[in-house]
Amino acid sequence: MPGRTGTSGKGGVSARDGARDGGTQAKGPLKRIVLIGNPNVGKSVIFGFLTGRYVTVSNYPGTTVEVSSGNMSLGARRYIVVDTPGVNNLLPMSEDERVTRDILLSDRPELVVQVGDMKNLKRTLSITIQLAEMGLPVVLDLNMEDEAMDSGIRVDKQALAGMLGVPVLGTVAPERRGLKELTAAISAGGSVPRALSVNYRAAEEYIEKIASFIPRTHISGRSIALMVLAGDKSLAGWLKANLEEGAIEAIEAVRDECALKLATPPEAAGEGGYHKIGQYISEARLRKVSEITAAVLRKVPHKENRLVSILGKSMIHPLWGFPFLLMVLFGLYEFVGVLGAGTFVDFLERVIFGRYLNPMFIKVFGFVPVPFIRDMFVGRYGVITMALSYSIAIVLPITSTFFIAFSILEDSGYLPRLAIMTNRFFKMMGLSGKAVLPMVLGLGCGTMAVMTTRILESRRDRLIAIFLLSLAVPCSAQLGVILGMLSSLSMKAVSIWLLCVVGIMLVAGRLAASILPGERSDFFIEIPPLRKPAFQNVALKTANRVVWYLKEAVPLFILGTLVLFGLDKLNLLGLIERAASPVVVGVLGLPRGTAEAFIVGFLRRDYGAAGLFAMHRAGLLTDVQSLVSIVTITLFVPCLASFFIIIKEKGMGIAVAMMAIITPAAIIVGGILNWALRYFRVSV
Amino acid sequence: MIPEELRRPRAAPETEKRQFEDEALETLWEFQEQGRQATLEQLQSELQLQSEVKDGPSVLAMQTDGLVTISDGKVDFTEAGRLRARDITRRHRLAERLFADILALPEYEVDACRFEHAISPEVEEAICTFLGHPPTCPHNRPIPRGKCCRLYARKVTPLVASLADSQVGEEFKVVFLRTPMIDRLAGIGLVAGAEVRLIQKKPSYVLKVDETTIAVDEEVAKGIFVKKI
Repeated sequence: MPGRTGTSGKGGVSARDGARDGGTQAKGPLKRIVLIGNPNVGKSVIFGFLTGRYVTVSNYPGTTVEVSSGNMSLGARRYIVVDTPGVNNLLPMSEDERVTRDILLSDRPELVVQVGDMKNLKRTLSITIQLAEMGLPVVLDLNMEDEAMDSGIRVDKQALAGMLGVPVLGTVAPERRGLKELTAAISAGGSVPRALSVNYRAAEEYIEKIASFIPRTHISGRSIALMVLAGDKSLAGWLKANLEEGAIEAIEAVRDECALKLATPPEAAGEGGYHKIGQYISEARLRKVSEITAAVLRKVPHKENRLVSILGKSMIHPLWGFPFLLMVLFGLYEFVGVLGAGTFVDFLERVIFGRYLNPMFIKVFGFVPVPFIRDMFVGRYGVITMALSYSIAIVLPITSTFFIAFSILEDSGYLPRLAIMTNRFFKMMGLSGKAVLPMVLGLGCGTMAVMTTRILESRRDRLIAIFLLSLAVPCSAQLGVILGMLSSLSMKAVSIWLLCVVGIMLVAGRLAASILPGERSDFFIEIPPLRKPAFQNVALKTANRVVWYLKEAVPLFILGTLVLFGLDKLNLLGLIERAASPVVVGVLGLPRGTAEAFIVGFLRRDYGAAGLFAMHRAGLLTDVQSLVSIVTITLFVPCLASFFIIIKEKGMGIAVAMMAIITPAAIIVGGILNWALRYFRVSV
Repeated sequence: MIPEELRRPRAAPETEKRQFEDEALETLWEFQEQGRQATLEQLQSELQLQSEVKDGPSVLAMQTDGLVTISDGKVDFTEAGRLRARDITRRHRLAERLFADILALPEYEVDACRFEHAISPEVEEAICTFLGHPPTCPHNRPIPRGKCCRLYARKVTPLVASLADSQVGEEFKVVFLRTPMIDRLAGIGLVAGAEVRLIQKKPSYVLKVDETTIAVDEEVAKGIFVKKI
């Protein structure tokens, strides 16, 4: 076990901060290690082991979209370890991949620990080739050795190490197998896999020409020349910053010449021509990789796990996939809506808070002579009687059960398979099925989901996804509260709610897609193997998320309550309620008091939903009113946290524009539903 | 810009006549394909729309040459005319397939119109075989079968076909790729020469390359051209 220096508040260093860190600390004793590898190979598990920091680990490509770093010490030496989003190619295709490439360009890593999937040796080695071309020292870790064994794949690590000239290890990270050897290899230091050079034949002369323009850095000019040749547009900024004037034009001329030479017929040069060079380079690498793989990998007969293969097939079956999805949804509803929002909430709210905590605090505060303070804590808008009982008694049990269920789904590998089933639906909204991932993650937490949109390829897709997330995807807390309310209404109400939300999503997506310029990007997603969720990871992940919820949500609940309390004391609450009543009472047909729920809904949608939930339980809302209010709150503005993250990702203008569209849209839909339900005398 | 008249030199009267006949026969073929009878006026107006031949060769002359018959103002093929119409339609539609699918020329229709007059039966057969004896043109109209197609009639699987036209459950070798996703696919090892297995087509395409499984939609699958192993 490596010695650990803990997290010491250095959590979540962003890519750019990390890079700046590196600049100042390069002189100091801290050495920088970067974890690189294909998506979903277990980099984050290894990162957790090396640094003692937990970062979310799941079974789908693209879990890590942010760079995290942590400290590690081995013997006397201290290191900074950086975990990066997975890449298939150091030629970036999306924002998350770009982050990784840029770390290699600007971070001067002391050592690259490449983590690979032993089953997928070819893909692993095509990244090793690119690291070799950059001239970076590498330790190669072939992870998931157990899965390779199960699928009858045997890799001769010694032979491979000999051929590459770098240390090669086999590990099973979740079981910590082989990790001691890995740390030993890290402290011994890796080496540049010089033996791994590819001859690009016809492109060689152009590579050399371009490389001669590139200034000497820790990354070889050859590797940058290759990126340029393959048409990497994201490199433009780096080139501008690092090259002399005129060099860029000269490089472009060489690239055009190369495109012309490699493209047949020559007219095909230009946009397609660069593709051609990219392909030419990939094919050359693949030939090299296949050569090595043939020498070190052999397949032996193996038994397939029948259950896993049947499950895997039925999840994505054109027919059985849908009943399977319904089963999953039903399970989720039972676990979160019935057990979490029903049984647990009942117990916490009625028994713990209702019978013990609230009366106790009311008694205690009864001794406080100042009524103002008393009301602030245990009054109608009291921090304890409202904020804490909402956040702890109503939302917490719901969120926790949801997080457990969700972690299991994440770790099993079902989510990307869901993308296969729903691709068509998302196509109708002008999005590709890949957007399923952020959307489904949005059911967990909108804030995280907005960040996950980085895995989408085009700016247009990201914008649409963020918009739909803010509009129509309820987060776990809110969803749970809504499920709780729905569980006491009829099946008809559930269907109407679902129809409204899905319908709005379709219409809004379609509209957004037709307004925003650009084409829908094609659907492409990697499907990870099905895995049995490990109890430890599910528990750890849930615990992390619950802590995160408590840290993030409870203060906002308290803030919201204090706002209500203040408004009430200043007699403004009644005023606002009266002012809002044409909308709340007139349009939505709800009791005037629901305005409170919508006010706090601006802070957190789940808080708003919790307010409605409490009113519903107290019998203050009719069934029709309950339905209208939950449809409205589902569509209502995103919570403050996701608002901030949208500003961070997309800028203030877009965030404000989204709010300006979403708020009236939610009210209009609620109003129409209210009118329709009453006009047609629908009983729910 | 090259002036129009230089780019396409005016054809010799002989060639011009032949081209006119080809166009006329092709148009008549299309009429009959749609189950319609062509009147002389209809045919003439169609032809003037398509090519600007106003004087010179005419449908009436074709009757004299024994390619078509005209009775009650309705035009029909003679036996010889029908065979030639079939050939030219076949060549035209094969050319469209080649230009649209393989060469991805944006104006494949115009190009195919010029190309159809120029290819020999050998070239035609080679193209047909290369394309795997496609049954329809890009507009989904049937391509009349040729001799080569009948020879291969039992082997229905084309030599090179896109994954969208391939059988589920089979293994293929990738021949070439024509999709904007080309670099992404390369990233997971799907390049020309790689082996790929088609797991399913609905609700999305699922492919397996080595130990990697990916899902793509039909647009992408259409751009992955493979050969059965």
